[in-house]
Amino acid sequence: MEQENPVDIQRRLPFFAAFIVVFMLVLFTRLWFLQVVKGDYYYDLAENNRIRPVKIRPPRGIIYDRYGRPIVENVLTFDISIVPEDTRDMDATINKTASLLKMSAGSIRSALDDAADTRTKYEPVKIREEAPWEAVAIVESHQDELPGVIVEPEHRRHYPFGGLGSHQLGYIGKVSPTQRKKEQAELSLLIGQGGIEKTYDKFLRGASGRRMIQVNASGTKVKDLGIEDPKPGMDLYLTIDLDAQRAAEEALGDRAGAVVAMDPNTGEVLTLVSHPNFDPNLFPRGIAPKDWVKLTNDPSHPLYNRAIQSVYPPGSIFKVIVSLAGLDSGAIKLDDKVTCSGFIKSGKHTFRCWKKEGHGTLSFHRGLVESCDVYFYTMGERIGFDRIARYAQNSGLGMITGIKLPDEKPGFIPTSAWKKDRLGEPWYPGDTYINSIGQGFIQVSPIQACQLIGAVANGGLFYRPNLVLQTRNRETGRVREISPERKGRVVLDSAALDEVRKALIGVVSEPGGTGHGALTPIATVAGKTGTAQVIAQKDPQKKLFGKMQDHAWFIAYAPVENPRIAVAVLVEHGGHGGGAAAPIARRVIEEYMKNVGSKMVH
Amino acid sequence: MSDQKWFTNIPWGIVGIVAVIALIGLTAVYSATYTAKGPSTLFSKQLIWVAVGLMMMLLVLITDYHTVSRYAYVLYAVSIVLLLLVMVMGKTGMGAQRWLALGPIAFQPSELMKLALTLVLVRYFSDNHREGGFMLSDLVVPAAMVLAPLALVLKQPDLGTALMLLLTSSLIILLAGVRMRSVLIVLIIGATLLSLMFLIPPVKKKIWGSLKPYQQNRIRAFLDPSSDPLGSGYHANQSKIAVGSGQITGKGFRRGTQSQMAFLPERHTDFIFAVIAEEHGLIGAGFMIFLYLSLLLIGVDTAKNAKDRVGALMAGGIVAMLSMYVFINIGMAVGVVPVVGVPLPLVSYGGTSIITTFLAIGLLLNIQMRRFMLFY
Repeated sequence: MEQENPVDIQRRLPFFAAFIVVFMLVLFTRLWFLQVVKGDYYYDLAENNRIRPVKIRPPRGIIYDRYGRPIVENVLTFDISIVPEDTRDMDATINKTASLLKMSAGSIRSALDDAADTRTKYEPVKIREEAPWEAVAIVESHQDELPGVIVEPEHRRHYPFGGLGSHQLGYIGKVSPTQRKKEQAELSLLIGQGGIEKTYDKFLRGASGRRMIQVNASGTKVKDLGIEDPKPGMDLYLTIDLDAQRAAEEALGDRAGAVVAMDPNTGEVLTLVSHPNFDPNLFPRGIAPKDWVKLTNDPSHPLYNRAIQSVYPPGSIFKVIVSLAGLDSGAIKLDDKVTCSGFIKSGKHTFRCWKKEGHGTLSFHRGLVESCDVYFYTMGERIGFDRIARYAQNSGLGMITGIKLPDEKPGFIPTSAWKKDRLGEPWYPGDTYINSIGQGFIQVSPIQACQLIGAVANGGLFYRPNLVLQTRNRETGRVREISPERKGRVVLDSAALDEVRKALIGVVSEPGGTGHGALTPIATVAGKTGTAQVIAQKDPQKKLFGKMQDHAWFIAYAPVENPRIAVAVLVEHGGHGGGAAAPIARRVIEEYMKNVGSKMVH
Repeated sequence: MSDQKWFTNIPWGIVGIVAVIALIGLTAVYSATYTAKGPSTLFSKQLIWVAVGLMMMLLVLITDYHTVSRYAYVLYAVSIVLLLLVMVMGKTGMGAQRWLALGPIAFQPSELMKLALTLVLVRYFSDNHREGGFMLSDLVVPAAMVLAPLALVLKQPDLGTALMLLLTSSLIILLAGVRMRSVLIVLIIGATLLSLMFLIPPVKKKIWGSLKPYQQNRIRAFLDPSSDPLGSGYHANQSKIAVGSGQITGKGFRRGTQSQMAFLPERHTDFIFAVIAEEHGLIGAGFMIFLYLSLLLIGVDTAKNAKDRVGALMAGGIVAMLSMYVFINIGMAVGVVPVVGVPLPLVSYGGTSIITTFLAIGLLLNIQMRRFMLFY
């Protein structure tokens, strides 16, 4: 079989074998050259691998208000850092740096010690942040004497309006070890630690880039080899109106309290104020211990976001719920008359009206306009408190609103079942009385109060409070809108709602109304005052002062024909709602209505 | 033949060499993929692949290589279909579409093609034999057999595997016997075309433009390593540093700073040899070269002693394929050939490559075992 004979192939095989041997010899020779002849050279290169990746931190997203005005920015600053691996003699470098920059050697040493556990190899340790120009110039011009000392450009977070909106904007700070795991954050990054900076951190953060540099023996860059750009964080366009926010902050002034304003049609938060506030600019550098102690030990708790974290008895603003419950369920008729002689008796207890001399005989409209306690004692009893509680819960009281800010408190709405369960006592008629005027067990946060009045303005519907209108990718310019999220409905009967609205207009504009302080030529305002007692008061005529003074509430919406804004104001120990809180609501409404409908400018 | 004889004929020498190479490979993958939390799951996967590969290698021994050769066209057709499937529904990894998902397993048809193409060429040349060597006109069919998968692989794009297919099949054709005149003609035409390409700017621009940026960078980086230090120039540089810094005795198992501190990219796949050279020095790396040399020379010997044309060509073809992978991969690690992504046979991480290599060596054993047997 001739074609089966492989002789011709076998003749060529020695050439093939020779080819294999030669190639293997080439490879071995090359190995010899690299590992033996140049082995020391490459060993040295590997020991301090001179091509080094340097992380480039991404600029954090900018935060704008609803009209495109920046409220949180980045500022380019220069930090002076040490790369310990690049210092030949650490002590000499520290001493030289200290004397050139007029710093104490001890502070440099402690900065290096602090970072020792967490840093990765070749990661620079900051020894002086936001260095002035002279210091930067000294480091740059003394490179030969300062091996391992470098200047790092940084985007420093800056809050140009200081404490304005500090509770919703939040602040940024160093990543704690527990956060590092949970948030998958790079240790060298600053991340959001409060407010929107925290809840929207994933958007704002961006991603680090890296640069390959070649360094000489002292760690000084000799050549840029390439760059992989960082991805900047997303910009946020908030729902906040900077002007209305500022007006609210000014109107509240030094008093402790909160102001929340929302667009009732969408849930967009227009202002969110909590006083006292704090300056978020204290944090990005790492807050100084003495500043931290001052903030946390302050008895007025400036870090506390009163708008969502503090709960108060709602006082008379709760009468809105009682009215809705009564009219919607049919338990109250509009012309049911009640005669107020300044008090009502139940068993051996006397329950007073805020007006000692009494309101005389009144029906629903005047009862709500004049906020007659006796009227609502009577009506509360007629409706039954568990029914009122159901309406309260349906309007979002007693549960968090779901605003995207940290640690919101739910407040509380009591029921007879709860009282039996937790206190082991039956629900007394007196409980119905005092809870029907918003005292007793009920607790409400300012943002819930705002959501409630917003629902009244918006035909009973309410939305989850929303802080961000748009996110914008800075590189592509792509904008993503965030749409409103409907949460619930308070009442279904629009006739009941209309009657309550009429009365709320009367509160602001009719004679005998308690909320005249909110009267403004710009728009018709509907509102309700509230005065929440801090201590049970035997004699209403006795004047209380300071911490014993009542909390002042005011909730309102405007314009009544086509509501664009709902406001809730709480002034801690402010006294009467009409006097202390209503004028603040007026300022916010006036300021917001000036710009409403303007276009956002990117 | 009796089962007894069949078993005692297994050339344990080759099996031993293969086992040692695979074992060293496993330790290298263990070291290269070691994480702060301990051994990586990649290592356990590789362990399974090697075990499966060994078993398949022994399984191939049962079937006579003639039978395998008879199914060469089927295997080739299946591989072509799989390559087409990759284009349609393949998984993309690192900028190229190379993998097919088979449940949890990612399968790389281009790795199967390297074996299929070898077998189909062997089949073709053992069926068609011309006294005094093939002429160019005889090579039209085999050329088509090579170009079809080549085009598909280039489309992925996988420059490395395409190059491997081209080099391996060229070697097989030379081995099958081509007239000197034909070789010269091909060389002259090839050289002319190539120089024309690079001398006529529009043509050059067109070809250059058809390459992916990372392919352009690799070529540029080979010509001038400092031109792309972030990409493949960086790979080549870091690999040379890793190899060189291993010096004679190496830095020790899991002590390679280049590999452990992640300066070296692709260290468990394309640059696994650099890990061995860094951690075990000239002694370890030289020993690996010696093992591969022994394996390849025993393979050549198998071809020489094969009792028929199919056996001789198949053994030669398999050696050609293996040698090309070894040369290009190690050559890349030590910086004598450009960075193209090809695996080191039996060592680099990757299931398809491991298994097809074991299958190829199984065939080699098969031919060796049956050299004295008569079938006709």
